[in-house]
Amino acid sequence: MYKKLIKLQVNSEKMECTVRNNITLLDLLRDVLDLTGTKKGCDTGECGACTVILDGKAVNACLILAVDADGSEVQTIEGVRKMSLHPLQISFIERGAIQCGFCTPGMIMSAKALLDRNPNPTSEEIKTALAGNLCRCGAYNKILYSIKCLTSK
Amino acid sequence: MGTDEYAIIGKNIPRIDGLIKATGMAKYVSDIKLPGMLHGKILRSPLAHAKILNIDTTMVESMPGIKAVVTAKDTFNRTFAINMRLANNLLLQNEKVRYVGDQVAAVAAVDEESALEALSLIKVDYEELPAVFDPFQAMEPGAPKIHREENNIAWYISRAFGDIEKGFDESDIILEDEFHSPPVAHCCLEPRGCVASVDISGRLTVWATTQTPHPLREELSDVLGIPMAKVRVIQQLMGGGFGSRMGMDPIDGITCLLALKSGKPVRVVNSRDEEFLSSRIRYPMWIWLKTGIKRSGRLHASHVRIITDNGAYHMEGDTVTGSAMSKFGELYVIPNVNMEAKLVYTNNVYGGAFRGYGSPQIFFAVESQMDKIAETLNMDPAEIRLLNAVKPNSITASGVQIGSCGIRDCIHRVMELSSWKEKRSQKSGPQSSVRRGIGMASMIHVGAGAKSFWGENCNYSAATVKLNSDGTADVFTGSAELGQGSNTVLAMIAAEELGLKIEDINITNGDTLITPSCRGAWGSRQTFTAGLAVKLACQDAKRQLFEVASALLEANPTDLVAQGRIVFVKKNPSKSIPFAKAISESYFNMGSPIIGKGINDDPWSTRRDPKTGYGSYASAFAFATQVAEVEVDMETGSVTVLNMYCAHDVGKAINPLLVECQIEGGVLSMGIGYGLTEKLIIEKGEVKNRNFSDYKLQTMADICNIKTVIVETIDSRGPFGAKGVGEPAMIPTAAAIANAIHNAIGVWIHDLPMNPEKVLRAIKKAQDKQST
Repeated sequence: MYKKLIKLQVNSEKMECTVRNNITLLDLLRDVLDLTGTKKGCDTGECGACTVILDGKAVNACLILAVDADGSEVQTIEGVRKMSLHPLQISFIERGAIQCGFCTPGMIMSAKALLDRNPNPTSEEIKTALAGNLCRCGAYNKILYSIKCLTSK
Repeated sequence: MGTDEYAIIGKNIPRIDGLIKATGMAKYVSDIKLPGMLHGKILRSPLAHAKILNIDTTMVESMPGIKAVVTAKDTFNRTFAINMRLANNLLLQNEKVRYVGDQVAAVAAVDEESALEALSLIKVDYEELPAVFDPFQAMEPGAPKIHREENNIAWYISRAFGDIEKGFDESDIILEDEFHSPPVAHCCLEPRGCVASVDISGRLTVWATTQTPHPLREELSDVLGIPMAKVRVIQQLMGGGFGSRMGMDPIDGITCLLALKSGKPVRVVNSRDEEFLSSRIRYPMWIWLKTGIKRSGRLHASHVRIITDNGAYHMEGDTVTGSAMSKFGELYVIPNVNMEAKLVYTNNVYGGAFRGYGSPQIFFAVESQMDKIAETLNMDPAEIRLLNAVKPNSITASGVQIGSCGIRDCIHRVMELSSWKEKRSQKSGPQSSVRRGIGMASMIHVGAGAKSFWGENCNYSAATVKLNSDGTADVFTGSAELGQGSNTVLAMIAAEELGLKIEDINITNGDTLITPSCRGAWGSRQTFTAGLAVKLACQDAKRQLFEVASALLEANPTDLVAQGRIVFVKKNPSKSIPFAKAISESYFNMGSPIIGKGINDDPWSTRRDPKTGYGSYASAFAFATQVAEVEVDMETGSVTVLNMYCAHDVGKAINPLLVECQIEGGVLSMGIGYGLTEKLIIEKGEVKNRNFSDYKLQTMADICNIKTVIVETIDSRGPFGAKGVGEPAMIPTAAAIANAIHNAIGVWIHDLPMNPEKVLRAIKKAQDKQST
């Protein structure tokens, strides 16, 4: 089994890990780095529960090989709260956007990636950005509302 | 509207577990890591029906990294199901496999990859048997016998109230329609899983994705042969339940077997593929409604016939079917009702509880036919429903007691919300290729659980509360938090009852070691049953506290009130003592801690009579009416839901925000999905569409506008008047869409999901009929 030493930044922390070449970024985060906030819903890139921000872009961590994250900056849900909760987190909590919570980390990461590059998206833009994040509890309307409340449109 | 009637009840308090979920701190079963934990995987049958001649695990037993292998030989071969009288499922099959995905063996290894490799080295000798995948074929003489039943009929029921022959004779119009509801998957975003660990005292601790922690403890104890005192079930935070996690799943028992055999903690989690392949589904049903109506529009006679595809093993298909078949005569007043149903084994993946429990299936049928009746009589769909709906404080022909009932309010308010009259009178031009329509559907469902399972009288919930000397309270409830917000609601009830703030309440649920027993989350029951238990426990604690406070305040205990963290004399509020001080007095000066106990044993409902079916099996019923506005593309058959309007009678909205979340949530994913896009494609018993690309769930990009209105009927029995809403949220949605489609394009589609192919076929059929 081929192993590689990779260097990456996870939530502003510099990390060095020796990883097997066949594990995903998702498995690296959850199993090696104990960052279990990012969830595994399907492991095939269809549900968005594993959404993280890789070099500024929202991606499904289950579709990225850990070795391909070498040299990259990764943001996970654990890194969203700094000294205080991020406005997205506060909005989600207060506006009913959370039910079982399993899609929540992925939703927040997709929303954050959107707002980081476009602080005033339209409803359509929000829906498009989060179209890859499934929510079986059906909290979509409240999630959309929670994000919309943070924009000035 | 009495907004100041309560300090906390009725307020939109953010859910108390929102923080941990929004920050990634929330731990689900698949996040649990214990020292030395092994990873387990289950070997599943690739065949739909076969004898197991031999299972050879010798190659695997000596593999490095494999710490345990289990087969049926490691079990007591005890069957399990929610309804034990028909139980025939085993944790691991010993004689036969009966569906593709059936459990045959399991391994625990140092990592998941090794476990999967080990599975491939287990040699199972099967003797393939002829299989049957259709309940009609399964009932034919000579069909492959799946269990011991003749013609694979697991269960048959027939009930009659009134005089059906006379009823049809007296009817002016008789309609007969057939409907079909497909196999549908729960698709909880978290695949099911379990962690089990045996500690040094030999006690088994199980972290389970379960909706029924206390019943699960009973089932595990029974199936594993371990005393209940040595089994602890902890309901871990769950990524959805929706009925899929009611009752033990084989994965729970198998994880325990692996932990017991290896002596190490074991975690088993399904892959998404396994979830689709082997998880319990919504029971597929074929429904025939023969309905007699008077020219006035009054329903007069109803014959309901259902054939349910049970799948390979029994779980609760009898109660789901029984629940479905009686709903027509429970929502509407029908003096003459005949019902009959058959539950049939097939070699398909088997059914289980699924949000709505038979009601989505039956109301798709009933509410579609109600619109047909309305059209036949040239009545507005709202009118026919208002005319026939049950009334509050009435009894149906089958003995069901309707208490609080807001169905008429729901219909009126949703009509107002949706501008019903105006939109019904609008018609898309006959040449337009995109046509709009609006349709409504109502429903009744239990809002307080039911006396349908486990014994003659079993719908209880229990709670305890400890008052702490700093004025906070620990509440213990056996209920399950699936994400619906029950912990928040129960904390609100406790805070209201004790006169405290929500942050003073520390609520612990679903740990069988610490919490008293509750039957769990199903039947939209927890706000009602667990809510009453928590209320009773807090009242008990308050009684004890008032004994102490009355001495300090020199007043009668009955004159005292607890509000705003203070205990005071009602008629003389200046005579008061802080809540914390009164408790401290009890602890430190009277030497007595304050512990409250509450048992709600549901004194109101009874099991239906086993011979006649007569009886009121639930203490409270929820009602709702939803309106769908759709656009149908005549060229592609594609249906777009533009707007959904929902009016739900929840008795009393303890937390209106959470109620709205349930309603919106039920509609936007499951309701619309069930109506338009979801179906498990099962070929020769194997689920083929085992991923989210091929099994179509609603996404953020699909959502329509949705407006809800909460109708409060203040139930006389529920806590602060509350009833359930979890299942009602998605029950009438598909029917409302079906009726909207009919309004748009004049075709009836009686087969779910109403996908573009079916819509186009129906359009073409109608056009061909018109031109002949």
